[in-house]
Amino acid sequence: MEEYPEELRTPPVALVSLVGCPDLHATVTTHLHSQQPPLNALALPDFSKISMISRPPKDASLPPQPVAGILKKDWLLKHRTRVPAVVAALFSSDHVSGDPAQWLQVCTDLENLKGVLRGRNVKLVVVVVAPSNSKDYLSEDRMIALRKRAELDSKYVIIFVPSETELQQLGNTFSELANSFYKDEGRRIKARLEKKNFHSAELNIRCCFKAAVYAEFCRDWTEALRLYEDAYHAVREMVAASTRLPPIQRLIEIKCVAEQLHFKISTLLLHGGKLAGAIVWFRQHYASYRKLVGAPEVIFLHWEWLSRQFLVFAELLETSSVTSQHVSPSVPDATDRATEWEFHSAYYFQLAAHYLKEKNSSLELAQSLSETSGEVDGNAESVTAAAYIGQFAKLLEFGDTFVMQSLSDEEYARYALAEGKRFRDSHEIIALLKRCFEAYNKDKASRMAAFCGFQMAREYFTVDEYSHAKEVFENVASLYRQEGWVTLLWNVLGYLRDCSRKSAVVKDFIEYSLEMAALPVSTNVAGQRDCGPAGPASIAQREIIHNEVFSVIRGASESEPTEENSSLIVTADNPLYLEIDLVSPLRAVLLASVAFHEQVVKHGAETVISLSLLSQLPLNVEIDQLEIQFNQSECNFVIVNAQRSHLAAISCLQPGRRVETATTLELRTNKWLRLTYNVKPEQSGKLECIYVTARWGQHFTICCRAESPASMSDLPLWKFEDIMQTIPMKDPGLAFSGQKAVQVEEPDPQVDLKLDSSGPALVGESFIVPVIITSKGHSVHSGELKINLVDTRGGGLLSPREAESFSSDNLHVELVGVSGQESEDLSNSENIRKIQPSFGLISVPFLNEGESWSCKLEIRWNRPKPIMLYVSLGYFPQSTELSSQRAHVHKSLQIEGKTAVVMSHRFMLPFRREPLLLSKTKSVSDSDQIPCLPLNETSMLVVSAKNCTEVPLRLLSMSVEAVDASTCDVKSKSKDPEEPVLLVAGEEFKQVFAVTPEVNLPNLNMGIVCLRWRRDHGDGERLATCSTASAVVTKHSLPDVNVEQPPLIVSLDCPPHAILGNPFTYSIKITNRTQFLQEVKYSLADSQSFVLSGPHNDSTFILPKSEHILGYKLVPLASGFQQLPKITLTSVRYSAGFQPSVAASTMFVFPSEPHFGLKDSGEMRVEPVAAE
Amino acid sequence: MIVCVAVVGHQNNPLYIQSFTEADDVLKLHHIVHCSLDVVDERVNNPKKSSPTLNETFLGLLYPTENYKVYGYLTNTKVKLILVTTDLDVRDADVRNFFRKFHAAYVDAVSNPFHVPGKKITSRTFAERVSTIVKSFGLSSAS
Repeated sequence: MEEYPEELRTPPVALVSLVGCPDLHATVTTHLHSQQPPLNALALPDFSKISMISRPPKDASLPPQPVAGILKKDWLLKHRTRVPAVVAALFSSDHVSGDPAQWLQVCTDLENLKGVLRGRNVKLVVVVVAPSNSKDYLSEDRMIALRKRAELDSKYVIIFVPSETELQQLGNTFSELANSFYKDEGRRIKARLEKKNFHSAELNIRCCFKAAVYAEFCRDWTEALRLYEDAYHAVREMVAASTRLPPIQRLIEIKCVAEQLHFKISTLLLHGGKLAGAIVWFRQHYASYRKLVGAPEVIFLHWEWLSRQFLVFAELLETSSVTSQHVSPSVPDATDRATEWEFHSAYYFQLAAHYLKEKNSSLELAQSLSETSGEVDGNAESVTAAAYIGQFAKLLEFGDTFVMQSLSDEEYARYALAEGKRFRDSHEIIALLKRCFEAYNKDKASRMAAFCGFQMAREYFTVDEYSHAKEVFENVASLYRQEGWVTLLWNVLGYLRDCSRKSAVVKDFIEYSLEMAALPVSTNVAGQRDCGPAGPASIAQREIIHNEVFSVIRGASESEPTEENSSLIVTADNPLYLEIDLVSPLRAVLLASVAFHEQVVKHGAETVISLSLLSQLPLNVEIDQLEIQFNQSECNFVIVNAQRSHLAAISCLQPGRRVETATTLELRTNKWLRLTYNVKPEQSGKLECIYVTARWGQHFTICCRAESPASMSDLPLWKFEDIMQTIPMKDPGLAFSGQKAVQVEEPDPQVDLKLDSSGPALVGESFIVPVIITSKGHSVHSGELKINLVDTRGGGLLSPREAESFSSDNLHVELVGVSGQESEDLSNSENIRKIQPSFGLISVPFLNEGESWSCKLEIRWNRPKPIMLYVSLGYFPQSTELSSQRAHVHKSLQIEGKTAVVMSHRFMLPFRREPLLLSKTKSVSDSDQIPCLPLNETSMLVVSAKNCTEVPLRLLSMSVEAVDASTCDVKSKSKDPEEPVLLVAGEEFKQVFAVTPEVNLPNLNMGIVCLRWRRDHGDGERLATCSTASAVVTKHSLPDVNVEQPPLIVSLDCPPHAILGNPFTYSIKITNRTQFLQEVKYSLADSQSFVLSGPHNDSTFILPKSEHILGYKLVPLASGFQQLPKITLTSVRYSAGFQPSVAASTMFVFPSEPHFGLKDSGEMRVEPVAAE
Repeated sequence: MIVCVAVVGHQNNPLYIQSFTEADDVLKLHHIVHCSLDVVDERVNNPKKSSPTLNETFLGLLYPTENYKVYGYLTNTKVKLILVTTDLDVRDADVRNFFRKFHAAYVDAVSNPFHVPGKKITSRTFAERVSTIVKSFGLSSAS
């Protein structure tokens, strides 16, 4: 597209000429440029320059000449840069209104200008430039005179005061006039067209073209398009008709004009958003000119022209690519429907490259023809472009003058040939192909891209740029490999092989040759043209390549080095090592499948390994030597071909390596070579075959990664072939599930490891787990005992919340220590290597066969939690560590951790003695409030401990440890047991404490109850264990209590029991502990069981620090537990009522005097537990 | 005239490709068939809203090269049938008809119990049948 002149490429811009007042030109020009649509300005500083826009004098006397061409080359440029549509004559207002001499000058200038413009219909505007303040000072009659002289309408005589708005007006006037000029011109031409008053098709085309350009000037795109199309069709009709020029040049001119017209049409269509239309137009253009190849000697010019059409259209499409994404092909006609790729510029680039290549080859042909005919062109430089588009002429020099002389076709052909030589098209082709390669890649059209890449690489190849070619070919080959297009791959590989041959890269050459030789090329594809350096894809060709590559591999000794192969030698200086992995394309060359016959093998036992090799090379291959490599290098071994052992390079082996000899190591096409050998693994763990290395001669090695038959994938390209497939191993089970690795077991341990545990562990105690190691056949050398504590539910032994502060208190379960056998204390010895809360490592001393050793693990539970205890013993059965394998014994044990005792407590007030505690009366409903205790009154504290395990426990003691003895007096009401109390499972033990608070505190800390206990081991064991098993202390903290001074205390006093019919006294004592007089109301409800004497309802006053006694005499009327008459007391001061509890107001009535067995029972009292 | 027909498998690998030209431009036809797979991919991945039915197997004109027209057909099992012709004026109906016959031949060929699915079609009967269909293509369009 860049080849086209600029005036053709850009839309036309109207031209305005400014004459006079040069200082204003810059401002006006800038403004006109910025207008929408813009105007170009041709600035002439003064009126003497106006002659340049005048029309050249036409000699009317000459007869009308025959039409020499279709379009004049400079016509468009002329209208873009030299022929203005509007001429603005700028006069200064001083001159207009100045002295007569100045006025006369103005008039002369104006006359001259009019004279120049008369021939063309160029519009004239007179602009009188006035200074900003003197607009009104211009004399009216001078202005009228000026207008008359200019013969202009008054609106085209403008008084201009430089300012933004005035500039705007000026610009509008200019564009209006320019528009009318172009319209007039267009109309004039169109009138000619309609009248058809021309004799030749050339003139018709020219008129259409001109009218179209004028329409473009007016921005009438539709009209322009129509006229261009008319012109284009007229050109098309000319092809056969015209005889004006010799045939070759005529065709060149027509094509050249058609090209320009087509370019204009395409541009207009694309800018109008008619993408599909443009594509259809292009297709027609291509179809109508494709066949017009012209004379055979300059056929390359046709290809070049065609290539340019595609290139230009591609570039046009690319510049308007934004719209192309959105426009869908919507041409309804099915046959004309554009396919997807026609919307991509890459398609056109590709064809441009294709035709350029065509041009190249036909140019070469033409050149070779011209060289053979011995023509030497000497005057090519004198040929130049003529005045008409697409024409060439000879420039002849006669002294000072140059004369254009038309060319004969022969001369022109010679000129074109000479021109063609000057350019190297290969790079241009590569550039084009690269563009479409990239474009296709961007559109994810990888196959199109591959095709372009292939062409590009081929072009690189022809210009001997092998590194570039190789890079692109590689890229393309990978796609063909992946999709299995063997013929295409063959072709590409042929080029690659030649590239590496020409750049003397032996390794690449051999790799590509081997790959080609192993390609599944079928026989039916034969006799191809243009098959590249590879030759036709056929089995015969494969065999040729095979022989060639193996002659290189075997070294030059076996075959005479050909000239081109001379640099391709594998020697000691230049050894070659190829590696074939699972994705290598060379898998078809050598595939190694390795399977152990067993999955697991005992330590020290032999196992059988099967080795199968497959090659798809067309001819049989004899391998000199095979090496099998394992991850345990001691197992590696070498197989030597017996027939070629003299050649095999045994020298490169390591000494002491196992060497096997096979009768033959011949690989046949598509036949497995199966070998079976014994292997004895030396170490336990995994034994895996990693590589199978094949050697030919001394310097060529292929290292092939071993594959398991079970997980072996098909050969990439051969899997599509309909060939016989055999399984790698004879045994089908092995062929489908064989593995290249075998698990070698550890030596069997002959040592017993025993863990003992006696039931669940209890929280707080040191739980002892004895570990016993007994040797039963092996002696234990440098044994190591590993101990691990693991939470059975997963997770650590730390609770997550406490994980940050790592301290032993936070551990739920910890390994406290390890104690040795009996008296032997291990804690300080070196045997304990490491003890951590959940991990321990202990050395086990040497044990001879039959000996045993034990230790005790001490584990402490801080929280109830089940854990797994893992103990593993590792040892060497022999004393020399290096030779023997470590044996391991593992044992595990789950241990529950349980809470041993659950403790609870209860506060009780003395029986039938009730202090008035004010805080209790306030919020009765609150159940979890802290308990209240009266000050200086003795309350009871009952602490109970319940055994919640299945294990009997011995309680040693229970005590309350007060925080501060002075605040509260706690005494045990029962004596400590002399010997430990046995507490069986589920049993509860209670102890009573008397509590007397001595300080009035709202929150009195009562201290902690400490219970000491130990596990009961039964009588027999008791003596033995008492000394060692220390007591466990379980602590229970008592809650804070509220101590209060009770203002009133009510105590009920009555005998412990009564006898039916016998009267007794029931007294209620109210003690006032305050300094105030207390009023107390009381009422006594009657009871059916008793006859009662005494006051029922009353209120009484109690003096400070004194007491009041209500006395009643009661006679029981019924026996059994009877409810005493209920008393209700109300303290007026505190508005607090009191009613004795049901228990406190119940008594037992005997039917008659009871007779207890004891003599002194007369005084016996049924003492309540809490009585004093 | 049909110059090349091809059956292309799931992995875009050629299962059967046969050219019917005197000139030795097999390689070029292989390239053309291979490139046309891009268009098939694009048609299948971005079906046009305007296309008549989703189940249409005939893909239509894939792309015009300088001398050839390439047509495509996609079976329900995603096997692609490709046709390359030099005729510039081809009726869609003819091509559809051809593909229908070609597809039937393919189905018969792969129904052979000795044929392993996914492998190249080497059946001679299939080849003969295809070449008959190819020859009849020219005749039917002429009539």
